[in-house]
Amino acid sequence: MQCEEAREQLTDYVTNSVEEPLAPALAQHLTKCEACRSETEELKALWTGLGALPTAQPSSELQVRFDSMLAAYRDGLDHARTRSWWHSANSWFGALWPRQPVLQFGFAIAFLVLGVLAGYQVRSVRSVRSVPPASGNQVNNEIANLRDELFQTRQMVALALMQQESASDRIQGVNWSYQLQKPGTEVLTALLETLMHDPNVNVRLATVDALRQFGDQPIVRRGVVDAMARQQSPMVQIALIDLAVDLHEKESIDTLRQLTEDQTINTAVRERAQQGISKLE
Amino acid sequence: MAETDEMLMLAVRSGDVAKLGILFNRHSRALFEFFARLTRSRSLAEDLVQDVFVRMLKYRETFRTESRFKAWMYQIARNARFDHYKKHEIENPFPEGGTENLESRSPFPVDHLEHQQQTQLLECALYKLPSEKREVLILSRYQDLKYEQIAEIMGCEVGAIKVRVHRALKDLREIFMRLSNERLPCNVKKPENNLRIM
Repeated sequence: MQCEEAREQLTDYVTNSVEEPLAPALAQHLTKCEACRSETEELKALWTGLGALPTAQPSSELQVRFDSMLAAYRDGLDHARTRSWWHSANSWFGALWPRQPVLQFGFAIAFLVLGVLAGYQVRSVRSVRSVPPASGNQVNNEIANLRDELFQTRQMVALALMQQESASDRIQGVNWSYQLQKPGTEVLTALLETLMHDPNVNVRLATVDALRQFGDQPIVRRGVVDAMARQQSPMVQIALIDLAVDLHEKESIDTLRQLTEDQTINTAVRERAQQGISKLE
Repeated sequence: MAETDEMLMLAVRSGDVAKLGILFNRHSRALFEFFARLTRSRSLAEDLVQDVFVRMLKYRETFRTESRFKAWMYQIARNARFDHYKKHEIENPFPEGGTENLESRSPFPVDHLEHQQQTQLLECALYKLPSEKREVLILSRYQDLKYEQIAEIMGCEVGAIKVRVHRALKDLREIFMRLSNERLPCNVKKPENNLRIM
């Protein structure tokens, strides 16, 4: 063995890794070659010196951390086992789904198209049966409810205003009744009450005007005739006579006659009553 | 007869994870030493040991019946260390230019001053080696691994490992000789937390 070949093997010699067939030749070379022997000694010293280098010690925390990690992992595994039925069901469904992205895309498109077709199908069946959509009914009902509530509120406002002490408030209450297309008996009674008993002439005049729009109601016609006989104010009496004539209330003729014959009543009223009789007859 | 590492790891693979505790008791010390010599940081070495055992659980399915446990473990260890430096973007954790005080760290009595100095110089020389050469030396010198096993860990031919060890040892000798001649203070960075020495 030559020096060059031997030097390649020196590290192996030092680390006890020389291949068996080479070992005798190398040993023989080292006995002969001083340079190789000295290099071997150096490398051996180095190798031994490496073995003598100080060694670090782990802290006790290493064991503690490992133990807690392992315990946590085992807990996790136990927990996972209890959920395994869910996982197996999940993986069974998952296995049905194709792995290839192209197939996945195709399936997704197919399901989308199926969904749209099904949607159209359901819609056409519905239109054949001509079932109005539930949501439409609901909206109509809600609007009706709202209207009813608004109507109730207006009635309440009108009635409340007619009870006020202030004459202008009472007139406002009477005017509120214009906003009620078909007022309840309660409101009509209140209006007639006002007409009969309100101390203020202006309020009673406003009431006569308000009652004009409800002239088709029997209770109003009767009320007008009754009030005509009892009014003391000539202005209100004239307004009532005009109203009765406009409503063509024939039953007021008797009352009108009594007015014309009553000498205590204002002349202008009696004349107006006379004109009314002639118009109604 | 005691269970072999391979039998234990196969048991862990099939769900008996408690067996990993036995493997930890057998190998955590050597692993720690491997990382400590490579990184010179006890806390980092401990982190990496923990990481290796976590990975053993996580990737236990990759352990095959024909696998050799030690080689598999060191493969994981190398990956863990590689990933750590990749994550922290540190090429070489111990750049030259640091200082280190090895007093009170030597295992030798004070009267063996010459020997102590030699040991210090050798340790300096080892850490001045590039990390891939240091790694192959550490594996062959301290981890009780044959060239064949190191070749399996590193994924190369046995011949290539021979050459690497050879070159690493030669380089180490050169650095050691230079340091001996210069008698300069060691320029190896001090580890961030003091290593406790046996």
